[in-house]
Amino acid sequence: MSVTSPAERDELNRLLIQTGRNDQKAFAELYKRTSSKLFGVCLRMLRDRGEAEEVLQETYTTVWRRAAGFDAAKASAITWLVTLSRNKAIDRLRQHREELLDEPSRLEETVDEQPTPAADAETSQEYRRLERCLDELEPQQRSSVREAFFTGATYNELATRCRVPLGTMKSWIRRSLMQLRTCLDQ
Amino acid sequence: MNTPADDGNNNLRYAEYVLGVLDADARAAVAHEIETTGEAATAVALWQRRLMPLADTIDEVTPAPYVWARIHDALQLDAPARVQPRKGLWDNLQLWHWLGIGASVVAATLAVVVSLPRLAPTAIVVNAGYMASTIQQDNGSTGWTATMDLQHARMVVVPATPVAFAQGRAPELWLIPAGGKPISVGMIARDKPTTLALDPALLARLGPTAALAVSVEPLGGSPTGQPTGAVVAKGAISVAPDGGSKVAMTGDGRADQARGRSSQA
Repeated sequence: MSVTSPAERDELNRLLIQTGRNDQKAFAELYKRTSSKLFGVCLRMLRDRGEAEEVLQETYTTVWRRAAGFDAAKASAITWLVTLSRNKAIDRLRQHREELLDEPSRLEETVDEQPTPAADAETSQEYRRLERCLDELEPQQRSSVREAFFTGATYNELATRCRVPLGTMKSWIRRSLMQLRTCLDQ
Repeated sequence: MNTPADDGNNNLRYAEYVLGVLDADARAAVAHEIETTGEAATAVALWQRRLMPLADTIDEVTPAPYVWARIHDALQLDAPARVQPRKGLWDNLQLWHWLGIGASVVAATLAVVVSLPRLAPTAIVVNAGYMASTIQQDNGSTGWTATMDLQHARMVVVPATPVAFAQGRAPELWLIPAGGKPISVGMIARDKPTTLALDPALLARLGPTAALAVSVEPLGGSPTGQPTGAVVAKGAISVAPDGGSKVAMTGDGRADQARGRSSQA
């Protein structure tokens, strides 16, 4: 499934709006088209299949209950869905925060990981634009932003993983975010 | 009273929230702001639009079919509208060949399936999955063949070689998760196909590490919730070929089938 074409995006918006009207068929179709993407997101952040399955289930039960509040003027359906699954996954990570901090080896194994570079054809125009802006950041800062996004780690965790003081990590990320905003909003 | 500096700080917090670097308390504070102030909601939405495209690069991973079954169950969704008669498993000749059962059994099963009330949702098409098991008797002959339709949460159990049962005794089918206690799937017929609904707890445990077994029980089923009589047939579960692309063959499967442990009742 690719959600990068405008037609596909419109179709997902339609399905999510229909879901908000209690249309079960639309909900099933929405799940069929988006669950692999959202499961990929959950799995990437939680690194545990069972937990990712639970968070995916929570995500879609919330989708069913909150779809009526979806506003296509504010965000596309896929952005709304990915946001929801990330928020659920991050909440789950925060619940386990202490356990995770007790396992430095588990944290370190993710340090050097880079996202799989997707083929150009598989990414959206928005992604390519973001990628160009990310490329303008310092390499270390760029990889910290990516690491943060893909793993849902806190400032503290990121500082530990990258072996830099907390203050350094904060300023890297904050500067990067402001730089990205300037670049993207041009 | 927002000074430009406050605005900058707030905006940073919203960005940090969307990126996911805030700790639990700070996250909860922003989440509360989003609920209560339009300004926060708008700023967060803008940051989502800026950053969420990063998720484009995350590989998709198809979740197991039971996740949808759990969602469906948790939300108590009704069986959706009857669309066209369902196709798939029953039209999948490859599957029948794979199961190695004869045309007459197929015909008998089809007759049962066609006359079934539509309990299961028919409009829901998740990445379909089928599993199957050849449930063999101690002497190596096939007692039943079970086919599990994960998408519709049901199992059809077709008898192959009739197994003799004493008066007042009947076969009960059990799912045995790896390292777990048997879970009753239901009573099955000796002489005709039986269709059983699979609840989410059962669905969640189906898989190549689980096995099916048939034991001899009173007509109403085991009174204890665990097998009380002899196990007369047993079989491993395999994932069925899917649409002709991925074929999970097990050879003739007989050599490595687990044998029923106990003697015939």
